[in-house]
Amino acid sequence: MPDLIGPDRVRTVADAALELPGVDGVEVLFMHEWGGLTRFASSAIHQSTWREDTGIRVRVIKGQRIGVAASNDFSPTGARRTAESAREMAEVVAPDPLFPGLTPRSTQPEWNGFDEVTASTTPDSRSRGAAALIAQCGPGFAAAGAFETVASEVALANTEGRFCWAPSTQASLTTVITGDGGGSGFAETFHQRVGGIDPEAIGRRAADKATASRSPKELEPGRYTVVLEPSAVSTLVGFLAWIGFGGRALAENRSCFSGKQGERVAAPAISIFDDATSPLTIGLPFDFEGTPRRRVELIRNGVFEGGVYDRRTAKQTGKETTGHALPPPNPEGPFPLNLFMEPGEDSIEEMIASTDRGVLVTRFHYSNVVHPVESIITGMTRDGTFLIEHGEVSSPVKNFRFTQSILGALQATTMVGWDTELASEFFFSASRVPALKVESFHFTGRSDH
Amino acid sequence: VLDVVKQAVDAARTAGASYADARFVREESESLTVRNQVMEGIDRSSSQGVGIRVLVDGYWGFAATARAEGSEIERTAKLAVEIARAASRLPRDPVRLADLEPAIGTWSSPMQEDPFPVPLEEKVALLMEATRRMQQVKGLSFAEAGIDLFRVRTWFASSEGSATEQTVVHSGAGIDATAIADGELQRRSYPNSFRGHISAAGWEHIAKLGLLEEAERTATEAVQLLSAEECPSEVATLVLDSGQMELQVHESIGHAVELDRVLGMEESYAGSSFVSPGDRGRLRYASELVSITADATMAGGLGSFGWDDEGVPAQRVPIIVDGIFRDFISSRETAGIVGGHSTGAMRADGWANLPLIRMTNINLEPREGSLADIIGDTKDGIFMSTNQSWSIDDKRVNFQFGCEIAWRIKDGSLTEMYRNPNYTGITTEFWGSCDAVGGREEWTLWGTPNCGKGQPGQTARVGHGTSPARFRNVQVGVR
Repeated sequence: MPDLIGPDRVRTVADAALELPGVDGVEVLFMHEWGGLTRFASSAIHQSTWREDTGIRVRVIKGQRIGVAASNDFSPTGARRTAESAREMAEVVAPDPLFPGLTPRSTQPEWNGFDEVTASTTPDSRSRGAAALIAQCGPGFAAAGAFETVASEVALANTEGRFCWAPSTQASLTTVITGDGGGSGFAETFHQRVGGIDPEAIGRRAADKATASRSPKELEPGRYTVVLEPSAVSTLVGFLAWIGFGGRALAENRSCFSGKQGERVAAPAISIFDDATSPLTIGLPFDFEGTPRRRVELIRNGVFEGGVYDRRTAKQTGKETTGHALPPPNPEGPFPLNLFMEPGEDSIEEMIASTDRGVLVTRFHYSNVVHPVESIITGMTRDGTFLIEHGEVSSPVKNFRFTQSILGALQATTMVGWDTELASEFFFSASRVPALKVESFHFTGRSDH
Repeated sequence: VLDVVKQAVDAARTAGASYADARFVREESESLTVRNQVMEGIDRSSSQGVGIRVLVDGYWGFAATARAEGSEIERTAKLAVEIARAASRLPRDPVRLADLEPAIGTWSSPMQEDPFPVPLEEKVALLMEATRRMQQVKGLSFAEAGIDLFRVRTWFASSEGSATEQTVVHSGAGIDATAIADGELQRRSYPNSFRGHISAAGWEHIAKLGLLEEAERTATEAVQLLSAEECPSEVATLVLDSGQMELQVHESIGHAVELDRVLGMEESYAGSSFVSPGDRGRLRYASELVSITADATMAGGLGSFGWDDEGVPAQRVPIIVDGIFRDFISSRETAGIVGGHSTGAMRADGWANLPLIRMTNINLEPREGSLADIIGDTKDGIFMSTNQSWSIDDKRVNFQFGCEIAWRIKDGSLTEMYRNPNYTGITTEFWGSCDAVGGREEWTLWGTPNCGKGQPGQTARVGHGTSPARFRNVQVGVR
């Protein structure tokens, strides 16, 4: 398995770009990633992959003109050639009046996000994990899923003297178990260390859901009280990150939070923050222009506190960067990658027990934005949707389509789970959220399974 | 470079593979974005590496590296074999590949003018002027314009004797106008949403898109939408323009007929399909007016190539004929499972991913008449244009799409404009209600540049040729 390239070698290659003549500034973003993914379906391994890649992304500044070029030629020659390409672009484009300058020199806090065992996980080790999960399937059921272990190192160097470097690892195991009677169950787990993954537990959880969801009955769409498991809640929170919390969308009145700072936007039980430095998530200690990350309060006790910013949107709005830049060029602006919803005091069992008639949702599928300013999204339920009657789960039901305002759901939230789970959409991005009980949630259609 | 991939194949065979193929891929891209006459982003990217795929005792393994040197290739080939051996821990029916004649040759997508050497000044000037013209419209908040260029060169070799070299160039551009007021946000795009219209062509494609000519209308409609009525909630006759039909075909037909999805291989991520192997020749998927073809041979299509990433030659395959489902898009492995030959749809995202079954150009065959004819023939209905959002369930049954703009059709004419239009349906019911498909004169070969699939996630650029079409008894205005 590969070794970390390390900060010294990265500096040497980056210097070839930073020494580019005839420009006012240069920034080099470096990424090295390797890892394997063991994918299974029908309870057998059908696709297994491994890859390693190293890339640099160079931003060149001439006055307020900016060019960006990227390459996976990680060598001094490659870095210089990439910088020259970026310079060529910077020489012909129009200036960006909002360019805030490159990130100044600063110190980087201690960081320990790398696990050697995860970085050197073998294909056979992942296969054993997949086998342990699959063994939990009952008769008539089969498992599909993916077991992935990834290692990376990210560094940033610029001509202002800023240099930062951080190695990271991530492991994930996700599964859908399907079988008799249309039963379908889902479970997933993410961890910074592969040792934190328990394949048998994931398999048991999905298998139990699959067994319980056999022979779903039809239930009329409409407005229901819902109990949303953490995976479903992570979809709602993830879409808020996309359409709501970014400083650029806020400043341009494109966000569902624009003009609402200090206003109540959710139930008092709802608090959301972003914190890449927490050991309870999988993140990086700095953003992709080198600003150290820190905790940012977004919604506190139901009141919108503010969004996240990079250097450009901070200049645009007269605020300070919160360390949420994405890799350049980034027309969409800053983005929170490590969201948390504060846990409450209730269990899922208590939420169900307090519901006279409602729907228990395991997860959502293929959701998309309907109206960003009103925070309306649509999507489907999947892999375990159940009717709740008189405080108990009474039967599985066929999947619903929902069309629902996210903030409307958060305003109608009356119970928040005490336990939280980590859900991840892509590398360096994860949200840790609890289950929620929402008193009114709009199912606008249903499917045939 | 062919020697590199042949070396990779030999190394894999030496390490124990019964079958091996290798692809060396060199990708270049250039992307420009201008907003309100400010340069928001300009970047060029390049990436290259080699991916090695092996079969050992009927189990797949795949490994990829950016360092295409001799020792690294040998190490990567051995790793691919190790991965395949690790897969055998869970027994399955060994993979059997459908027969294939070795592919030998070179292929390039046609173009008249290579878009990469076109001076940056010319590209920037086009986008600046497009946004300037949009900004002339009073009430517009944001005017955005972008250009995207891609060049992918692939060298492929297999242990069965295939050796090919291919080059594809994809070029696209578009404009996007956003109007915001009083908590309402409205957007219009041209020629289509999500970065415009991308084609397997050169700069000549961008030059004839008419971005400048359509800038004022695009911006005007965005502003007009702010004061338009909400699309009513009703069961209506629905007419869709060619651009929205692109995504309707993509989501509710293209993905549903991918044979790996049908066989459960994508179950854990994007889901499976309501279609089964026994449906071939039996399932009434749509009305008699609907015929769908997977055609990787069309000039200009993002899903066109000489050979797929298994060395299977490009083909034109009937998928739905006069409403009856005929065949899947498939790979050598999946064709081997259900019987028959691969339809040539295996494509990988770059060098670092293994090929999956991906759409080629999944086209709705044209029938007769213009969009104006269809609208003129509609007594009462709603016409929707340009996709804004999409969602479909894990078996491709229940869908919901949002469009940028709609108009009421009354007695054959467009009347009142509606904002925030959307519609929902069940795939076979919806396609079964199709009672008009426009003719060749309205047919456009669109590009979908952002089709996601697989774990690790892969993005593919695929094509869809579509005409406007009409559907009866559709639920619109879902709120």
